Amino acid sequence: MTLVELALYFGLLSLISLGGMPSVMPEMQRFVVDVKGWLTPAEFIQAFAVGQAAPGPNVLIASLIGWKVAGIPGAIIALLAFCFPAAVVAWWVAELWDRFKDSPWRRTAQRAIAPIVVALILSGGFVLATPGSPDWRLWLIAASSAAAMLLVNVNPLWILAGGGILGAALL
Amino acid sequence: MKEEPQETRFQRVNVAPPKTLGELFLGFLSIGARSFGGVLPWAYRTMVEERRWMTPADFTETIGLCQFLPGPNIGNASIVLGKRWFGLAGSVVAFLGLMALPFIWVLALFALYNDFSANPLVTSVVTGVGAAGAGLFVGTALKLGRPLARKPVAVVLVAVCFLLVAVARISLVAVIPAGLLLALLAARRNWL
Repeated sequence: MTLVELALYFGLLSLISLGGMPSVMPEMQRFVVDVKGWLTPAEFIQAFAVGQAAPGPNVLIASLIGWKVAGIPGAIIALLAFCFPAAVVAWWVAELWDRFKDSPWRRTAQRAIAPIVVALILSGGFVLATPGSPDWRLWLIAASSAAAMLLVNVNPLWILAGGGILGAALL
Repeated sequence: MKEEPQETRFQRVNVAPPKTLGELFLGFLSIGARSFGGVLPWAYRTMVEERRWMTPADFTETIGLCQFLPGPNIGNASIVLGKRWFGLAGSVVAFLGLMALPFIWVLALFALYNDFSANPLVTSVVTGVGAAGAGLFVGTALKLGRPLARKPVAVVLVAVCFLLVAVARISLVAVIPAGLLLALLAARRNWL
């Protein structure tokens, strides 16, 4: 039952995840932690951290949540539920999109979506850095990492490693 | 990436899509296997530079579309490119190739982490990594948002959406349709 619920919800998130995984992180956290209580806030940020540190698309955090909820079948189903509806959309839209390359409504749609995607990704960062009550140490690590990303051109893996070191020192 | 101008000049002649499903699978497998710290650079290196399946311009165009669509960007790219080259079978093969190894990696890493999660130092390190990952989101948002900073309506829209989603914790299922509708109206009036 839990698995069905998880699959349906992730399927819905898949369709509204404009701009990819980061934009639905706040919603995923809200549902999985606040509404369902399947994971604690700390477990959620840790699953996210493991998902970031492993290679591959960050969508894999979906499979970690699925695993926590229902073992290996949960991991597979959560991942597929998150990917499949969006894949169907991509399958159909790709051709249309090419055909309307120069059409004005395509440019309008792109300009409209940009601020929404920016707000959602920003919210994702805020929610992940604020599990439970605000903690200045997590905010400091997140702010340093954002600054490092914007100022230095390095593989993000080094920034994550820096976050691990700061975590060991501060937390 | 070096000698970029020359690459661009000659690659129209050189690029050729994968010839077999096996080649497609191995290509996406190698993207997934190596993509520590982000998939995009590795997708570029594999498909444009190493295997020469597509031109840089073609790559940028495809990724641009996939960033705009819902769903994981590179996952969508595997669907779109697989379809273009081999139809449905191509989409399935490319997607499975991309996800197979990272899926095993991430579960193995998480299992390992669970064994050590009683150790407070391990928990601190992993939480620190998570916070840094959150910072990468903030950095990405700032990067993407830079061109919007000069448009007051866009700034207000970003701020309101952020307050509703991150602070008031209102469901995206409500915020996205309303936000998109307003944004479309604003875009049609050239405010965005």
